[in-house]
Amino acid sequence: MSISITRRTLMAGVAATPLAAYAQGANDLKGTTVVFASWGGAYQDAEKVSYCEPFAKATGATVVQDGPMNVAKFRAMAGSGTPDWDVVDVTGGFLEVAAKDGLLEKIDTKLVNIGRLDPRFVHEYGVGAIVWSYNLGYSTAAYANGAPTTWADLFDLKKFPGKRTLLDQPVASLEVALLADGVAPDKLYPLDVDRAFKKLDQIKAQTVFWSTNSQSQQLFVDREVTMGIILNGRVYDAQQKGAKIALSWEQNIQAVDYLVVPKGSKNRDAAMRLIDTMTVAENQTKVANLIAYSPTNLAAVKDVDKKVEPWLCTTPENLQKGFVMSQLYWRDHLKDLTERWTAWKIA
Amino acid sequence: MTTVDRRLWLLLPAGLTLTVAFLLPVGWLLSRAFTFPQPGFQNFVLLWERPVYLRVMGNTLWISAIVTPITVLLAFPVAHLMAHGSPRLRRWLVFLVLVPFWTSLLVRSFATAILLQRHGVLNSFLIAFGFTEEPLPLLYNMAGLLAGCVQVLLPFVIFPLYSSMARIDPAYMRAASTLGATPVRAFLRVYLPLTLPGLMTGATLVFISTLGYYIIPALLGGARQQMIAQLIQDQIATFGNWGVAGALSLVLLAATAALLALLQFTVGLKEIAR
Repeated sequence: MSISITRRTLMAGVAATPLAAYAQGANDLKGTTVVFASWGGAYQDAEKVSYCEPFAKATGATVVQDGPMNVAKFRAMAGSGTPDWDVVDVTGGFLEVAAKDGLLEKIDTKLVNIGRLDPRFVHEYGVGAIVWSYNLGYSTAAYANGAPTTWADLFDLKKFPGKRTLLDQPVASLEVALLADGVAPDKLYPLDVDRAFKKLDQIKAQTVFWSTNSQSQQLFVDREVTMGIILNGRVYDAQQKGAKIALSWEQNIQAVDYLVVPKGSKNRDAAMRLIDTMTVAENQTKVANLIAYSPTNLAAVKDVDKKVEPWLCTTPENLQKGFVMSQLYWRDHLKDLTERWTAWKIA
Repeated sequence: MTTVDRRLWLLLPAGLTLTVAFLLPVGWLLSRAFTFPQPGFQNFVLLWERPVYLRVMGNTLWISAIVTPITVLLAFPVAHLMAHGSPRLRRWLVFLVLVPFWTSLLVRSFATAILLQRHGVLNSFLIAFGFTEEPLPLLYNMAGLLAGCVQVLLPFVIFPLYSSMARIDPAYMRAASTLGATPVRAFLRVYLPLTLPGLMTGATLVFISTLGYYIIPALLGGARQQMIAQLIQDQIATFGNWGVAGALSLVLLAATAALLALLQFTVGLKEIAR
């Protein structure tokens, strides 16, 4: 997933730097309108305040908010060659698919200073904006005398009795099953699918499957389940609202949301420069403080509110405990494994 | 031009809306089954080769086939009271049946979850009064799914049934008993057949609506209650695969049409036989 920089593009970047690159504050984009599309809600509000507004202020461009991001819509737009959107927030999974299908503009490293970010979160066709992680979440009330810590504990119904919850998708669920079965994170891909499903059989009868994030949170609040796979931000949110829930960072599985430019964008350069504004540490700190999503610019972490910081998956400690999921693997196997997942569920 | 012809113009606004907002997009989606990603039958071949699709299709038809009679059975007494009770009672019943229409499906499904969950209202009640010691599994399984579907669909049977029942002349039942029919026989031979038009309309609405349910199985059903709309949604939203989505929709449509034709045929015959 890491970007391959040829020597030539690298040299071009170096050569251009003193001239026009990373030109913030130039106020040279007056009259340009950049359309920014994301997922709506509190997240897009945070992006608007933290990336779009500083960008508009520095360059004079107008940024219009649109969305929500939708795969079918994105495809139709980029396929037509004249997309309405200029900068779009997409999941890592879609980034790989869209890159393969030629729906994206290559990131122009003369305009985007990707050096600000951890290389794990930079792609040839997209720049990581936030990171989130799949964690082991558990009820602190149910396990008062010793909390579960590892994925293996999720499958240990004797030591940790209680209902489980998994996402209703193979992504992350299969990784978790293999990690629990003793596979090391660096030996995970390509996934040993048969072994993973066999492991999942152990807890299938005890499992409630969640299909929306709010549902995953609600299952813990309502005491329907006592342990399961849940996103770090959702545990944070549930705890803020008073739920007796906690998480383990052991082998947290990280996924990245990227900013991309759809193929054929009329404002390609301005779009790249908006993405560059996103990479600035100060702006990423702002997003983390507003919505507790983890920065891709690791320098942004230290200034985050001390109450929020322990919940981020890109603190030095949590980064080291976790690993980034292979979206490239899922690009090639999601379809078949989703079919198999459904067949396994209804069997 | 005759009067009838001129009145047909009244259909134009609705007809245009339906064409633009329904027929064209649905036709487009269905046609994708044969054209996406390239012309041919590859999408149907895929459905045939991967048994999971047809199994989920069967699942969906089966769930609809269970939901429909339960909804009709529960709706019947309510519609009966509405049709033959006092005007005051009727107003109250109409109000109570309509209230759920003002609430979103999502909210109602979450509300059903709150009632049925392990530490929910119903289980607390059952435990407090000693009916059970352990909370009953009422949610994330077939029971939860049925409760969710039936509560949402009841009005769709109650109202057509009510309109059929309200038109039944009470003299018919009196005549039947005067002629020596027991109340049960009078009900089965006189009352029930007269409610059949409303009953069939309601049952059809319930059956077809259930086939397309997406939110309710996701929120209230369990692993096995996977329904076809969820797979169609996956094909479009996750994979951008309009071809398979169109093929699934077409097979669902064909299965539904075939079943309804069968139903019409059998019920139609019964009515002739009487």
